[in-house]
Amino acid sequence: MSAVTTSVLSQRGFLRSETLVPIILILVVGILVIAPLVKIVLSTLTVEGLDAWQAVLASKMSENLWWRPLLNTVLLGIGVAMGCLLMGGFLAWLVVLTDVPAPRTLGLLATLPFMIPSFAAALAWGALFRNSRLGGSVGFFEANGYIVPDWLAWGLLPTLIVLIAHYYSLAFTVISAALSSIGADLVEAAQVAGAKRSRIFFGIILPVVTPALIAAASLTFAGAVSNFAAPALLGLPVRMQTLSTRLFGMIETGQTERGFVIALLLIVVSASFLWLGERLVAGRKNFVTVTGKGGRTKRFPLGKWRWPLFAVAVMLCLLTTFLPALILTASSFALQNGSLFSNWTTHFWIGEGGTDMAQGQAGIFRNPVLIEALWMTLKLAVTVAITTMALGLALAHTIARNKGSVLATVLGQVSFTPILIPSIAFAAAYIALFGAPIGPLPSLYGTFLLLVLAASAHLLPYAVQSGRSVLGQISADIEESARLTGAGFFRRMCAIIMPLAIRGLLAGALLVFVKIVRDLSLVVLLFTSTSPVLSMLAYRYAAEGFMQFANAITMVILVLCVVATLLAHRLQNRVQKWKSA
Amino acid sequence: MTPANGNPAAIAIRNVSKRFGSFTAVDHVDISVPQGAFLVLVGPSGCGKSTLLRMLAGLETPTEGEMAFMGRTVSDGTRGLVADAGARDAGLVFQSYALWPHMTVAGNIEWPLKVAKWSKADRAARVDEVLGLLGIAALKERYPAEISGGQQQRVAIARTIGPKPSILLFDEPLSNLDAKLRIEMRSELMRIHRATGATSVYVTHDQVEAMTMASHVAVLNNGKVDQFGAPLELLENPRTTFVATFLGTPPANLVSVTKQDGGLVYDGLRLADARRAKAHDGVQLLYRAHDLKVGEIPGQPAITARFEEAAPIAGRTMVTAFANGQRLTAMADGYFSAAIGDQIRLSFLGEPSAVFAMTGERID
Repeated sequence: MSAVTTSVLSQRGFLRSETLVPIILILVVGILVIAPLVKIVLSTLTVEGLDAWQAVLASKMSENLWWRPLLNTVLLGIGVAMGCLLMGGFLAWLVVLTDVPAPRTLGLLATLPFMIPSFAAALAWGALFRNSRLGGSVGFFEANGYIVPDWLAWGLLPTLIVLIAHYYSLAFTVISAALSSIGADLVEAAQVAGAKRSRIFFGIILPVVTPALIAAASLTFAGAVSNFAAPALLGLPVRMQTLSTRLFGMIETGQTERGFVIALLLIVVSASFLWLGERLVAGRKNFVTVTGKGGRTKRFPLGKWRWPLFAVAVMLCLLTTFLPALILTASSFALQNGSLFSNWTTHFWIGEGGTDMAQGQAGIFRNPVLIEALWMTLKLAVTVAITTMALGLALAHTIARNKGSVLATVLGQVSFTPILIPSIAFAAAYIALFGAPIGPLPSLYGTFLLLVLAASAHLLPYAVQSGRSVLGQISADIEESARLTGAGFFRRMCAIIMPLAIRGLLAGALLVFVKIVRDLSLVVLLFTSTSPVLSMLAYRYAAEGFMQFANAITMVILVLCVVATLLAHRLQNRVQKWKSA
Repeated sequence: MTPANGNPAAIAIRNVSKRFGSFTAVDHVDISVPQGAFLVLVGPSGCGKSTLLRMLAGLETPTEGEMAFMGRTVSDGTRGLVADAGARDAGLVFQSYALWPHMTVAGNIEWPLKVAKWSKADRAARVDEVLGLLGIAALKERYPAEISGGQQQRVAIARTIGPKPSILLFDEPLSNLDAKLRIEMRSELMRIHRATGATSVYVTHDQVEAMTMASHVAVLNNGKVDQFGAPLELLENPRTTFVATFLGTPPANLVSVTKQDGGLVYDGLRLADARRAKAHDGVQLLYRAHDLKVGEIPGQPAITARFEEAAPIAGRTMVTAFANGQRLTAMADGYFSAAIGDQIRLSFLGEPSAVFAMTGERID
């Protein structure tokens, strides 16, 4: 009997195993995520690699190669994490828990800095504070007769300020989400028990949001240590090295193995802090989901402090978003930083080449390199947005529908691995794997494909996360009922899941688009002259001293990012036709 | 179990188990029904009935055992193989209806036919046919969000019977409807079952639905089939105390007795002959509600109980009372009422219907 059954089953291909799709996906994420990491580790275990380990960790050079960059990196990380907690926490408290005027607008303002590239603020800082140390044109203050000391123009302090101005909105997002989950009844229960305001804050609110504070601290720490743009623009001119700028320098000067070693060390530093944060939070997760049916939160009256605090909050937001944008815009039109708002010229945007301005270079919109970079950036961002969202949806779907199986667990863990890896180190791993031909496959270095692969892998955790939230709104029954009709995986995806998920997916895709357009630290290693992107051009111009061009390109990036972000918000908030009944 | 006429059973479940980790949801279930049967899987929540149904639908793979439709193997647990849900010729009506919210009523019904590669003309004809059968032709162009729960239910059924599956599966389809609509849809479902001639499997926790609809009932308890058979057979000849107390309205009574001086004795009162207990010292006697009457009856044994509540049913009254911590259900003629806590007398009419061991299995 069983022999007969077997032949019937296999002949018709009538029965099938359910583990096929997960296995394909595991192969895909394995190649995208695990293979580069394994390869970079293996590359440092060769003879040259072991020499590099010794050079970095135990030689006369190791102070310059490892210890000083490490110190700077950790100082920046801790400083940024503390600054972001203070600033993001203050704004989150104000917006969520008090009767401050216009909380919604404040909330939107506080999320904007994260949507613009971190080098925008760094460039704006330079336009204001750059001093004559390096030669070239000086910033606004020095040009107007003020002496700007080195510590204010370059190095640790400006980098710290610029990074806080960028990452505080991340802390704001995390903390405000936790604060809004504190139901009014929780606070009212404490009030009924007779607790005073400070007692409620320290006894109820603070303990409840502690996991969010820790999460915000570790996320901003990881962001700061992996950031490349700010320390490169503000620190490199005075030889302040962080691990990410060291890594870049090593690879650029051909000391690849040393670069790989530093990349691995950077991964260890960043991942260990994220892991530490995770450990601290792990035992108290039950605090996060105290109330399921939030919505009503208790707002404390600020009394006479209402308007002063509002003014402080608006100032903070304007200083970190609108001021940099304003300075960059003005600078891209001004001949000199000394007179930002007079003698404007459109030369740096649309001027013809061959004049005595800007060493004969044309304005950015007449520069074929820039036009090509613009198209390349858009092409890259759109391609990556599509690939990551498709992959993210497939992964989230497979993980959710195979919940509890070993395959799903492995899949989930592998797709979230890139979160632990600073993007510049990830780029180094991609160079390790794809920089040389693999068997019959040619080297991918410098190709568009490599950029797409690396960016997709880097954004995988984000894509899976948004895939999850999109799928969370579609019940399993809806899809199973489609499965029962005999529709295959792709048919179900196209006819059932996609139409229901399309808006959420588009919103997610737009945010991926933003992340790619504003990214520098991933592309800085993978970029070649055949695959130029906007952020890289801006960085090159800035490094060569053509600040107006750099600022103009940065403004182009900034506008792209803001438009895409606002579009994503609109999409997420609009109602779908069949729900509007 | 092959029916006498030699045809293979429409649905054969052979020794099927389903484990999630160390938890056993379905435990060696072995039942089969002939074509046209209406099989009801009934049991309390968590008994494994929905898991069993999902395995029939092909949404879950059995850990062990085999399932066959019309003699064709569709799931093979030992090798972890399962026929594609769509290739089984079975349709499932979900508890949540699972209508596709972005398609109209007609679209919902038509899409499975498209998947099955029906021609356009056939599809249009079939959509109108099932819309008519369910009496919802007027809703054709509406979206699921625009119609009521009862109407959504009809659309879900229409969508499932559209491709003419030979097996219909229902997962507690009536549990989201209000009481009146539920009774209406119950007869509606029976009508559709007869009209399609399909073999149906119906999952419910409501024993009334099981008793009224089924041709075959399987009572599930902790993943195991406690008893499988025709509804009346289960009612008259329960094999376990679980089946005896789960089925039937009003619920039947179990009275714990001990063997004394050749009789089975409850609180000093002799209820039955000791021989019915066979070798056991302590047993449980089954008395149906109508075998326990409120008030003294000359010549019949009676006990005192504490009155709890009374519910009028069809001209009589169902009385619930407590005696020695045990809940007892008795009947009274006409309308009866008392204050909570009042002492009332309950008389046993005749012999117990069945005798069970203390562990639950039937002795006599």
